[in-house]
Amino acid sequence: MKHSDQLHADASRLPMLLFIAWRNIWRSPVRSILTIGALAGGLVMVILYAAMMEGMIRQMVHQATAISIGHLQIHRQAYVDDQDLYATLPWSYLDTIAGVFPEISLAPRLYASGLASTAETSTGVLIKAVDPAREPQVTRMLQQVRQGKMDLGPADDSQDGLPRNNLVIGAQLAKNMKLQPGSELVLVTQAADGSIGNALYRVAAILKPLEPNFDRMGVLMSIAAYQQLMYLTDGFHELVIRLDDATDLGVMQAELDAELKKLVSEQPLDELGGTPVVRNWRQLTPMVADMLEISKTITFFVGFIVIALASMGMLNTMLMAVHERTHEFGILLAIGMKRRWLLLMVLLESFFLGLVSALTGVLLGIGVIGLFGERGIDFSGMLPDGYDWGGIVFEPYMKLHLEPLDLLLACLLMLVITLLASLLPAWRTVRLRPAEVMR
Amino acid sequence: MTTIDNDSAGKTAMALLTLQGVDKIYRQGELEVRALQEIDLTVQEGEFAALVGPSGSGKTTLLNIIGGLDAPSHGSIQLNGTSITTLKEAELSDFRLFQLGFVFQAYNLVPVLSALENVELVMVLQGRDVRERRERAEHYLELVGLEKVMQRRPAALSGGQQQRVAVARALAAGPRLVLADEPTANLDSENATALLDIMHRLSHEEKTTFIFSTHDRRVMERAERIITLRDGKIVSDKHIGQESHEQMA
Repeated sequence: MKHSDQLHADASRLPMLLFIAWRNIWRSPVRSILTIGALAGGLVMVILYAAMMEGMIRQMVHQATAISIGHLQIHRQAYVDDQDLYATLPWSYLDTIAGVFPEISLAPRLYASGLASTAETSTGVLIKAVDPAREPQVTRMLQQVRQGKMDLGPADDSQDGLPRNNLVIGAQLAKNMKLQPGSELVLVTQAADGSIGNALYRVAAILKPLEPNFDRMGVLMSIAAYQQLMYLTDGFHELVIRLDDATDLGVMQAELDAELKKLVSEQPLDELGGTPVVRNWRQLTPMVADMLEISKTITFFVGFIVIALASMGMLNTMLMAVHERTHEFGILLAIGMKRRWLLLMVLLESFFLGLVSALTGVLLGIGVIGLFGERGIDFSGMLPDGYDWGGIVFEPYMKLHLEPLDLLLACLLMLVITLLASLLPAWRTVRLRPAEVMR
Repeated sequence: MTTIDNDSAGKTAMALLTLQGVDKIYRQGELEVRALQEIDLTVQEGEFAALVGPSGSGKTTLLNIIGGLDAPSHGSIQLNGTSITTLKEAELSDFRLFQLGFVFQAYNLVPVLSALENVELVMVLQGRDVRERRERAEHYLELVGLEKVMQRRPAALSGGQQQRVAVARALAAGPRLVLADEPTANLDSENATALLDIMHRLSHEEKTTFIFSTHDRRVMERAERIITLRDGKIVSDKHIGQESHEQMA
């Protein structure tokens, strides 16, 4: 018989084999339901785990991009290497880039370090200056207020006649320095011209924890206030960029890089600060990027282990089923059923058990995730400030996000593992000698 | 009882089955058990033959070897012109599917299929089309008197009914030879008699050869030929004339 004829012959028997296989799994309903329950339970665990991982990754990416980093950032090389105060990009660069790429949102930032003092205490701080008008277009940093009101303008309630600006500080810094909205502090720093810059500020608000360093040492002010303090007016340290569609990240990064090269040739920069570099959020937060890379692999292995353990039940069920039906298989072989059809029938039984388990597990998994709702797993009672991990502060709840592809892969994984688990019983079936088993 | 010697019987009929010098030796460690010894046997087309003998005489072994379910240690078997001892596993499977029908002692049927589906099963394996196999299955179930219980599963049928479904299944596939191993062993007297009557009638109507093993006297009485085995050897082979049956009736 030709191979194609054989395939056709096998295909014509398939409906009957499917029919028998389906009915066979319901011969011992209690046993099948227990097996399905174990497999479906395992799949629910895998789905929940995958949803937690995906939710955490998304939260991580969200924290990284939407809250503080943006999709892309431009610095000068000396700033990347040494946080060189003088490695600034000219303001004209901002205008040019904004003109060339009107579809992207841009926000400049400046940084410095200094000493914050109150009447009782003083501590080192990291100063971050933002443009209150542009920053909300690229990140939601200014919306992350825990206490007080976001205001980076001049303070309007000074009673002693001294000018002062508002600033916003990190939650841990506020706690360490016992500062509240309305408290005042003095910042002392070495200005860009070498002089000692110092000024009085009023705390307008305290931020929620965003990233551990900023939470502990961060002081946020307007660029105008920064320029007054630092005497650094000819440029900015960082240009944060947000794209409408982050799928074109690589393309935009390359275009920006090309545009900067052109800009450098047209508007040369000083040599000390180095060339401008464009980095995407993956390069800026390598740990998040690494987590993204390995999370799928980890999920796969966890899924494999959980389902493989659950499949031991399937193996037991099929071994029992085959053992109980050796006489019946002998009859089928005797009346002319080919061994490969018998093998297929046993594999189909496993396939159906796996399929029913997968469907049950998926429905239960979706239901369980639905029960947790939009917020996911809430542990704000234990950790009201959230928790930091990998340099990123997470909100005190774990969102569960189910990717349809993860769901499909989990089901496929289950079907493959259950089929693998049924190979041994199927193999035992095809080795049966009808004359022996019917004796 | 009128008997006819095997040598003079059926010389004009065509030989369907020929066994020559068939031995079957089982080895258990160093112990050898000769289940069959030097079996020479010829069965003509359309015969209704009984293999009789005490337990352990080799009846089932002989049926298994004729049916290609077991291989002889020595000797040759020709069935319908094919030497089945030379067939490979897959060819044997096809041979059984298209040339042979089987009725076993018990648990013949697939429990998850109805009587009708059980009868259809062999025809599905043969690759017959849906309509043909449905018509044949219904026809043969009617012939064995089960037209009213076609949709029942084996668990809802009596032992006698299950054996009749097995007979219908064996015949619906259109075999040249039906092998029945102790088909009435688990049946009461009434059901055993009814089953044998059906098998006998269909053997004639369908021109199908039946070889069945038994040590049930009621079954022997309906056989047209009685082959007696003892210790793996044929010790007697007698054709029973029609008149004997009429006398018995």
